[in-house]
Amino acid sequence: MLLESLEVHKFRNLSGRAAWSAGLNIIYGDNGQGKTNWLEAIYVLSTTKSFRTQRPQEAVAFDEELAVVRGRVARSLDVHRDLQVTLQNNTKILSVNGKRETAARYLTQLHSVAFTADELETVRGAPEARRRFLDRGAVALHHSYIQTIANYNRVIKQKNRLLQDASENELNTDEVLAIIAPWNEQLITLSAEIHRTRTDYVNRLQETLERRLFGGEEVTIRYVSSLEGKGDLSDYETLIAERLRLRLEAEIAAGRALIGTHRDELEILFDKRDIRAFGSSGQQRSALIILDLAAISVYHSWHSEYPLFLIDDIDAELDGKRIAHLLKHLEGRTQTFVTTSKESLVKQYQAQASVYEIKNGTANESHVGSFDAGRV
Amino acid sequence: MLDYAEPVTKLIDEFKRLPGIGHKSAQRLAFHIMRVPEADVERFADALREVKRRIVFCSICNNLTDVDPCRFCASTSRDRSVICVVEEPFNLVAVEKTRSYNGLYHVLHGSLSPIRGMGPDDLRLANLLTRLKPENNEGIEVREIILATNPNTEGEATASYISRLLKPLGARVTRIAMGMPVGSDLEYVDEVTMDKALANRHEI
Repeated sequence: MLLESLEVHKFRNLSGRAAWSAGLNIIYGDNGQGKTNWLEAIYVLSTTKSFRTQRPQEAVAFDEELAVVRGRVARSLDVHRDLQVTLQNNTKILSVNGKRETAARYLTQLHSVAFTADELETVRGAPEARRRFLDRGAVALHHSYIQTIANYNRVIKQKNRLLQDASENELNTDEVLAIIAPWNEQLITLSAEIHRTRTDYVNRLQETLERRLFGGEEVTIRYVSSLEGKGDLSDYETLIAERLRLRLEAEIAAGRALIGTHRDELEILFDKRDIRAFGSSGQQRSALIILDLAAISVYHSWHSEYPLFLIDDIDAELDGKRIAHLLKHLEGRTQTFVTTSKESLVKQYQAQASVYEIKNGTANESHVGSFDAGRV
Repeated sequence: MLDYAEPVTKLIDEFKRLPGIGHKSAQRLAFHIMRVPEADVERFADALREVKRRIVFCSICNNLTDVDPCRFCASTSRDRSVICVVEEPFNLVAVEKTRSYNGLYHVLHGSLSPIRGMGPDDLRLANLLTRLKPENNEGIEVREIILATNPNTEGEATASYISRLLKPLGARVTRIAMGMPVGSDLEYVDEVTMDKALANRHEI
């Protein structure tokens, strides 16, 4: 997939249009000019979500009613589609070629993977961030999985409330069992599906993982079920049903659900050591890049096309050697968008990239400061 | 100071209490009321009062009705050996519109949802158990209970709870199928529904 152009209206401090090129696009400018806003607009157009906030509506410019992000996408040499996301109040209107579309259909048009400072949570944050990384990747393969996750979260929320109420009202175990069984029944089915989907996704990541992209150290990953060591994981339904039975009293005492895939973890090792505890910040960044690249490869082998790859503040996140390795690796693969405030980086790569200088939110391809204009 | 005269403000406040009505809609409705002839308003007020005075829960199935038992439970032509359990009276109407179901109903008036404070005791379930005894069902044994609660997590939990309650009593409990909407094209069906439809496929 290829994003040919992007037009934004009242999206944060941006208004205007930019035409992008197929390979590397460098978005350059001083801090506070709106580089990341352009990246965010591309992310919103391709995923309908923001990598900065849970509510993309927050990106509507101050004092404005609505923001529009519109892009032209080439699905093949001759097939071009106009995508548009309109953000207003609490709504998000999605359209393809001027016609309103459901999220499920809209999302098949464009996809992107983003590497940002916030995404570093995946390698150094709580397990939840790693589960989200897996779920995001799996949803990009099977869209219906999003409903499984929504149902699971709903069941956990209901069950937690039930357990809270049970301890407040001092119900005995049998009474709790009677009212909790219908929720556990769904928890078993949904957990099994999530376990299966995530395990399968991790296996796919394993197959494409460029373990030594940045040199000697090796990155390895493994999906660690919270039921590991408790019995036969290949018969997941039976095992989790058994655990739910055994741990009911503990769940009542804790007042929340203790068993299920919301306690699972993705283990990331850098040279056989836990990256979260022992990795340097540079190693953590390397590991995240390697994971993102694997997610991109898995997406490619499933859909036969590459998603866009967005890298925010590339020189703050990676050193020169790693940037060189990475950009070399991406050549001929993804359409890549990077932001930077470093002139030296622009000079180094301008021969192989299109460069856009951002001033007050506007992207100018033709006036790239003291440099030659990037190729179109 | 109030934006409008006191009676208008009171009316707007009352409209705002209704589900799905926000401030703007309430204002529009209130101004509409002020414009229409008094006779229309009387008729509207009478309709509100009458529905409150005359509509009761059917003592057998909990459906909303102006006669007790309701027309379904009182009917002599309906199959008393099958009971279809639904969450709300409007779900009953949806099943009834098929014209292919000729059994009786049972309305729960809600579904299990701890976060909304709905537990088993808040569902109108007790009289369902009473109905299963032939002596309370004109001597007829109930041979099947169809659970037609909504296909979401709350509806599923409710169906599961009821089936656990009824199965030990020897009743046959069934759950409505999930799958393809009839009369549409395969390409328009969302993936989750398609998934369910494939899983629930049958021999032809």
